[in-house]
Amino acid sequence: MKLNLYEDKNNIDEHVDIYFSNMRPVIRRIVDTVNSDRPVLSGRPADEDLDDGEEIILSPEEIYYLDYVDRKLFAYTQNGVYRLMNTLSSCEEMLWNYGFIRVSKSNLINIYKIKLLKPDMNMKVFAAFDNGERICINRSYKKSFNEYLQRMRRMG
Amino acid sequence: MVKKLKDFLIQLGCVYTIVSVTGAIANVIGGTQTNNFNVFLMFATCAIATFVLNLHNMFDSVSPLVMIILQYLIACVLCAIMIFVISIIYEPISLRGVFEYYRSFTIPYIILAGYYYYSVFSETKKQDILIKEIQENKQKEF
Repeated sequence: MKLNLYEDKNNIDEHVDIYFSNMRPVIRRIVDTVNSDRPVLSGRPADEDLDDGEEIILSPEEIYYLDYVDRKLFAYTQNGVYRLMNTLSSCEEMLWNYGFIRVSKSNLINIYKIKLLKPDMNMKVFAAFDNGERICINRSYKKSFNEYLQRMRRMG
Repeated sequence: MVKKLKDFLIQLGCVYTIVSVTGAIANVIGGTQTNNFNVFLMFATCAIATFVLNLHNMFDSVSPLVMIILQYLIACVLCAIMIFVISIIYEPISLRGVFEYYRSFTIPYIILAGYYYYSVFSETKKQDILIKEIQENKQKEF
């Protein structure tokens, strides 16, 4: 994508024009950034020893997957695990354009962070991440997962 | 519930049509004939198979391999009940007949299970390639 930046010290009407062929996720992300609608998740370290009471801002790009356990939502990143105050369905809606797709009742995964997709001998399909974690892709979500990948490829 | 029943009947109609047409073709090629009893038996077997395969949602928590084995065992039990009922209301079925019936039921099941096994691996491989492609496209854009 070509990027033109024009600096004018006297400009009092700053604006952004976007020329695009179709509204694909990357364009949607730019629009979100310009509108300040870019999803930002805030969480606190899940490990109580590391929790100093301050919330940490998480960017969608750094999250590997979200896990909903015991009515609590956790975000897994390279640096650690954070507890979020959002619901899984709100995150699903919010992060759709950022590569996140639901793969089970309790998991939302970031497809940009998947290192390998592989079935085991029991025919369960697992998504392996850089951090060594694995998440099972439930059979019920297989179709929507595949449709999402096809869509992301077409739109990408 | 009504929708589920409707879907089940549509699936059963499709499955029975495929099986009966395949059976008719096999009869034409082999020069054999079938009788009314076999037609009913074929229909009942199709109904059991369609019903059992429809239960897949109940086995979401277990692995596909376990699901295939459980579904096969359920189908075997239902077929045994069906054979028992036929033995009472129609005519007793010999042990050889029971064996032949289970064999003709098991062989296609194993073939289809094998195909499913292969399709899971093949589909996952394609999805993995797709993910790599999406990741590369994203890197190119920025």
